[in-house]
Order: sequence, then structure tokens, then C-alpha cells
Amino acid sequence: MSLQPLSVTRFVPSILSRKSAEDRARVSRWFEAHAADRVIKFASVLSLLGLWYFGAALLPASVMPAPHIVARVLLHEITLPRIWINVAITMTRIVFAFGLAMSVALVLGFAMGLSKTAARFFDVWVVCGLSLPSLVLILTIFMIVGLNDRAAIIAAAIPVVPILTINIWEGIKNVDQKLIDMAKAYHADRRRIIGSVIAPQIAPTMLASARFGLGLIWKMVLFVELLGRSDGIGYQIEYYYQMFNMSEVLAHALLFLLIMLFIEIILLGKLERRLFRWRPIQRRI
Amino acid sequence: MANAASIEINQVSKVFPGKGQSAGWRALDDATFRVDPGEFVCILGPSGCGKSTLLNILSGLDDQFEGTASIHGRPVGKRNYDAARIAYVFQEPRLMPWRTVRANIEFALSAANVSSSQWKERIDRVLALVELSDFGDFYPLQLSGGMQQRASIARAFAIEPEVLLMDEPFSALDELTARRLRQQLLTIWGTFRSTVLFVTHNAFEATFLSDRILMMTKGPGGKFCDEIDLRELARPRSYEDVRVFETSRTVVERLVSHIGSLDEH
Ligand SMILES: Nc1ncnc2c1ncn2[C@@H]1O[C@H](COP(=O)(O)OP(=O)(O)O)[C@@H](O)[C@H]1O
Ligand SMILES: [Mg+2]
Repeated sequence: MSLQPLSVTRFVPSILSRKSAEDRARVSRWFEAHAADRVIKFASVLSLLGLWYFGAALLPASVMPAPHIVARVLLHEITLPRIWINVAITMTRIVFAFGLAMSVALVLGFAMGLSKTAARFFDVWVVCGLSLPSLVLILTIFMIVGLNDRAAIIAAAIPVVPILTINIWEGIKNVDQKLIDMAKAYHADRRRIIGSVIAPQIAPTMLASARFGLGLIWKMVLFVELLGRSDGIGYQIEYYYQMFNMSEVLAHALLFLLIMLFIEIILLGKLERRLFRWRPIQRRI
Repeated sequence: MANAASIEINQVSKVFPGKGQSAGWRALDDATFRVDPGEFVCILGPSGCGKSTLLNILSGLDDQFEGTASIHGRPVGKRNYDAARIAYVFQEPRLMPWRTVRANIEFALSAANVSSSQWKERIDRVLALVELSDFGDFYPLQLSGGMQQRASIARAFAIEPEVLLMDEPFSALDELTARRLRQQLLTIWGTFRSTVLFVTHNAFEATFLSDRILMMTKGPGGKFCDEIDLRELARPRSYEDVRVFETSRTVVERLVSHIGSLDEH
């Protein structure tokens, strides 16, 4: 008696039954779907640009310069070292603020996920942190620590901690107890359970939280620079804003946006897809 | 040691603590039985009578209970780890979705401290037994439910268990798939001769598979109420065999006489 499953083609990707016509049809459908996806994304970017041009046509050039003017300014700026120095300064602050925010959120999130008492205790903190306006937090930290780089990093990190903590906490709460029981029934030791059963389950949440956190942090760093620093991209934006030079403001913002999108979507997105290949339906960005 | 039982439980009771004022839920009441080495025993009882609770106690997952339970003469729980090799097949496959079928089996082998030089040979063997030889490098979510459950059975036999606990492993599958898997299970059991404690609410399944059926009453406070010896029923058994069918009808009658009616499942 053979037990070849009746439904192989339904569940198994094309490797096995490359010959079947049905399979080839499915492959073309896949390409079709993805091509459609590309077209829609392209159209979306184009219409954004269109909206920008539309706004530029309505408003004076000093308020909203057209995309090609901003692009020209940007192309000129990136040939000079100054903008890159500021990018480097801001990036350094982002790295430190991100490290700080993630570390604190990891400790809090794990504590809340593993202990009901900790969850009840920190719940209040998290809710307060979420409802407190970031501006108030940032100004308070500048007051306490002083107008220096340390304060800037702390001030950029703290407002992001509550939301990251919630993310990480959720990820830990969602660990599948049934798999842990399976591991215990097979007499896996503690180290194996943590390393091979729990860690792989929380890794997706950790990575997603990291991406999400990075997205919040960089905006927060720009904001903090604008408020209390005299270098970095955030300061440059503030400076040119004071000078009524919107082309420079937008050029700086655009460059930084492109850099961060590259890191967030291309680098971290690739890493995520590679790590979670086993998931049959990949979340698309 | 000729007479040593493979599994022995004595007056085991289990009460799940209730919330606040409530008295708690009595999931098992005064359960006593023994299973001999190499025996295939089915526990047959309606849903909610405490069958999974019992397996969790025997596997050491639940150590909050009254009475004594031992496997190979040693009390169940952590200290029994080196006394007997126990495998557990759950109602759901419980495969780790981020690992391939092969890597899932490797996890059980490494947990059982099987030397890694034996892994490939053992995995190839059990995958062949459940007819999944071509699917070792697939991820669980790429397989059908029946194939996943076969993979979890392969994982169980890979550690060459002396005692195999099975908790309604086929109840989530369609009847056709379940039939093939039952037959396959008996074939594999024939080569390994593990002691099997198989839990089910399906009287026909119990009749087809087991040497002996232990019947339980409805919960709360599910009790062992009857025992049917099926060793007379010659193996290998087949679904077409009239005697298997007739016997399963008498099993159903006995079950109904104990629990009233079968309506609730
Ligand atoms: N963790 C638990 N807490 C409280 N009650 C439980 C728990 N687990 C099971 N029960 C109850 O104990 C009874 C027996 O459960 P179980 O052993 O799963 O039954 P079966 O496997 O025979 O269907 C059920 O009524 C169930 O509601
Ligand atoms: Mg059950």
C-alpha cells in the first residue's frame, strides 16, 4: 500500500512536479501577481511625485520647491563633505539611541513577559510613557542632563521605549506553550528549550520590533537635534528653515529619508526574509 | 524483573484548582491500571474525561497530582529521564515550523542524547517507515495535515522509545487518512515493540489497534470503569475483517452502558 499523498501538488512548491502543466501555470500566475505588484508600487511613487509637482505649482517656490529643484540642490550638496559629516553625526546618535532604547525595552519586555508581577508593575509605566507627549519628555531630559550629546541620545531613546516594550512583551506572550511542552516531553534540557524552541519563536518579533524602533528613533533623533543640538541633519534642517531655504530643507530630509529607507526596507527586510524562509506566506512591505 | 510493569499508576487523582471561590475541576478520580512491556493499550473515553490529563502526568509535564505513577518502576517526572525513553505524539503534530522535518526529528534525537553519528541512519529509517522519505527537507507548513502527523510519528519512533504515549493523534484527520495511519502505526509498532498507551474517544479505533481497552466514564471525575481484552483478535487486523467490526460494536455497547449515550461527541 502506497501512502503517496493525494494532495502533493496543492501543498508542495514547484520543485517536485516541475513537469506538470498545472504547475507551470501556477508559476506564471506568481510572476503575474508580482509584476502587478511592481506596477502598482511604481504608479504609487509616480503619483506621489505628481502630487508634489501639483503642490509646487500652486504654492510659491520659496514654500514648496518642485522636485527637480530639490534634486538639483541635493546633487550639489552630496558633492560637498559637509552634508556627509552631518549624516555621520546623526547616524552615530541613531546607533546609540537605538541601542539604548532596544536594551531598555528588551529588559522591560522580557520581565513583563516572564513575570505577572512585573507585567502589572510596569504596565502603569508603559501607559504613562505612551500618553506623555514626546516633546515634554525630551525637554525634561534636556533640562535634567543638559544640552549635550548624552542628553540628545537619551531624549531620542526614551519616548520610543514604551511602544517597543509593548511589542517585545507581546512577542514573548505569544510563544507557543504547546511546543515547549513537546520539548519537555522529549526531555530536552533547559538550554535546548530556550535556544531551539523559544528563541526562534521570539526572533521574528524582535526583528520586527527592531525595524519598527529604528523607524521611530531616526525621526526622534532629527527632532532632538532640531531642538537642542548645533550639528547633525536635524540641525541643518532647522538652520535652513530659519533661512527660509526650503530647497535645502527638503534636500536634507530627502537624503536622510532615502538612507533610512534603504536600511529599514532593503537591509533589514532582506535579513527578515532570509531568517524566516520557512513561513509559506511572506509578509510583503 | 520478568513481571515488571512498563507503566503502572495507582490511585491517581487530579484536581485543577478553581478560580476564587469555586471548588476546582476534578479531572481524574482514583485511576489505577498497569500496562505490560510491549503491550498496546487504548484508553477509551468521552471528551473531557481526563485522558490528556493522564498522559500529561505520565510524560512528566504535569507533576501536580495525587497517587503514584511510575514507568519502568521509577516514579514519573524529571528523575525518570534516564530510566526509560518516552515519546509523546500529540493530537496536533507540534512540529517546529521553522525547522525542516529532518531537523525536527534531529531535535528529539539530540534531546534524547542519541549520538549524532546515528542521526542520518535513524531519520532515514523512520521517514521510510512513515513513507515520507522524499519530504525530509520540507518545512512542516509545506505538508498536509496527515503528512505532518506522520512526521510527528516518525519523530516519536526515531528515539526508539520504550514507552510511547499517543493522545488522539488521528482525530484531527479525515477518516481515510486516519485509517492508513492506524495501519501504518501497527506495522511500525510491530518492528519496534514499544509499549503504547493510546488515548482515543473512537471505539472502532480502539478495537482496531489495541491488545486491551481501558474504558473511562464521563468527566468530571472520570473513572476507569471497564476493561476489554482483545488479544484474541488476531493480528494483523484489517478494516474489512468482520470480527474487528463485530467486536467494535460490542465495545460501543459496553461504552454506552457506562456513559449513557454517545450524543455528546
Ligand atoms: N489546565 C487546566 N485547567 C483547568 N481545567 C483543565 C485544564 N486542563 C484540562 N482541564 C479540564 O479537565 C478535564 C479533562 O481534560 P482532558 O484531560 O483534556 O480531557 P480529554 O483529553 O479526555 O478530552 C476537562 O473538563 C478540562 O476542561
Ligand atoms: Mg484530550
